[in-house]
Amino acid sequence: MSQAKLAALFARLDNAGRIAENTLLILVLGGMVAVAFLQIILREVFSTGVIWANELVRILVLWLAIVGAVAAARDNRHIRIDLLSHLLSDKLVKGIRIVVDLFAAAVSGIVAVYLWRYIQVEVELEFTVLDGLPAFPAHVIAPIGFVLLSYRFLILAIKQLIELFGSNAAEESAT
Amino acid sequence: MIVFTLLLVLLAVLGAPLFAIIAASAMIGFLSIEEDLINVAIEFMRMEQLQFLSAIPFFTFAGYLLSESNAPQRLVRMTQAVLGWMPGGLALVCLVTCAFFTAFTGASGVTIIALGAILYPALAQDGYPDKFNLGLVTTSGSLGLLFAPSLPLILYGVVAEVSIDDLFKAGLLPGLLMIAMLSIWCIWVSRKSRQVLTPYSTRELLAAIRESIWEIPLPFVVLGSVYSGFLAVSEAAAVTVVYVFVVEVLILREVKFTELPRIVRESMLLVGAILLILGLSLASTNYTILAGVPQTLFEMLSSVVTSQTTFLILLLLFLLALGAILDIFSAIVLVVPLLLPVAELYDVSTIHLGIIFLAAMQLGYMTPPVGLNLFIASYRFEKPIMQVYSATFPFLVILMASVILIAFWPSLSLWLVE
Repeated sequence: MSQAKLAALFARLDNAGRIAENTLLILVLGGMVAVAFLQIILREVFSTGVIWANELVRILVLWLAIVGAVAAARDNRHIRIDLLSHLLSDKLVKGIRIVVDLFAAAVSGIVAVYLWRYIQVEVELEFTVLDGLPAFPAHVIAPIGFVLLSYRFLILAIKQLIELFGSNAAEESAT
Repeated sequence: MIVFTLLLVLLAVLGAPLFAIIAASAMIGFLSIEEDLINVAIEFMRMEQLQFLSAIPFFTFAGYLLSESNAPQRLVRMTQAVLGWMPGGLALVCLVTCAFFTAFTGASGVTIIALGAILYPALAQDGYPDKFNLGLVTTSGSLGLLFAPSLPLILYGVVAEVSIDDLFKAGLLPGLLMIAMLSIWCIWVSRKSRQVLTPYSTRELLAAIRESIWEIPLPFVVLGSVYSGFLAVSEAAAVTVVYVFVVEVLILREVKFTELPRIVRESMLLVGAILLILGLSLASTNYTILAGVPQTLFEMLSSVVTSQTTFLILLLLFLLALGAILDIFSAIVLVVPLLLPVAELYDVSTIHLGIIFLAAMQLGYMTPPVGLNLFIASYRFEKPIMQVYSATFPFLVILMASVILIAFWPSLSLWLVE
């Protein structure tokens, strides 16, 4: 595959990922608002309520946190102590960013492994949520999210590596 | 252990994402006391058990939605109609609108971008000195931090496991004190400049009210339902989202449906970044408690620090330094669990500690070298960063005085709570 095709493929992947993230964020946030709001209406108007509504909202917060964090990694918007970018040269900052982003990728990967082990324990011990449903489908988003975080930081590091050293590659892919 | 800690500090200063630093410190910690790393996962998943956490995404989204509509312009017009006739009127308008707006958008820099763009040129037009305007707008960007329903207040309540309603009440007077002290400075400065006073006009006030008729009930809905105990904070937040959505998207149609995915994404990026740090800090906090760090900290302190006064002085110095390097959200989730037991032993209540913490951290938004407001203002108004530093300095001094007052005058925070 030529580099131009590869670049086009990555652009398509990026677009698809972005749409997937946005769709999930809208669905989860919308679902949370709907459940929380209906619960108030049910209680205040009909003096009734759904027992597991609060728990569902809290599970959705977890989903929102994970999907939001993955999306934040795509847009490189995670919270950092942003001291050096105002002090050092662009090139040096990029070089440092490669190191710290690889570090973030490694850490996210390790957390993903242990979250996966946690899910396995949940399956083994048959943990439940929402009045008797198995817990793991509600929680499996966490290890998946951290795998994606790890992947995203790896990509961020590679991108910066290309910007730093591979101006040739960028020129070729442009032609 | 010390080698690893220094390495992590170095990585953090070099710009590694803070969530990774926190996760790594938790993992190294658990390994050092021979605990299984699955503890990191267990603690992270405990995020799901935290009450009222949904208030954070709800209020953030509502705030972003408001800032995308024309509500900021209407808010300025409204406040101008009420306060504009006073000496230093427009400067006061700036303080009040920014405080109000920041409370609703969670002090994430949106205020400077949304309101600064309107107020900065308006201040110049009214003849205020440029340096003053720059400092004023930069300072105002984080002014509403102590007012309900600001995100840092909610996050502190979640982390410290203290009533968020009480925090909302506690922040009110200290927040007003800050505005009052800054207002006096603004009136003092405007005494020299020859800005045109806008005469008071009932007709303009009525027009402004008519224009903002849909938004005026909002603070009453939110604050009223929380203060009266009618709704929990997270429920009030859900009502706020529904209300703001209906008004701005369905009735006024200032935000188009096609813009919603972008606004949801923008706001949830911030939420995701904050909650990721929160979840992982549960793990690092769990380690520090297992390892007995709060006790060690207290034992070290108690031999040196004997009175509450000395403790508060040290606390303020520590928070100012912390605020200068760490953002307010990370600072809350990382430092508050360590401070709580220590503060309790010096007889500083959890509520008062929260107000001191946030008030001091607010200064961090405008302390060099990494104050967020400084960079946003420098970028937004195309001014060199050094110029923003010096323009903000007098405001910083005034706010510092207010923080000292807040720290040593506990009843100011606790009066409305009791």
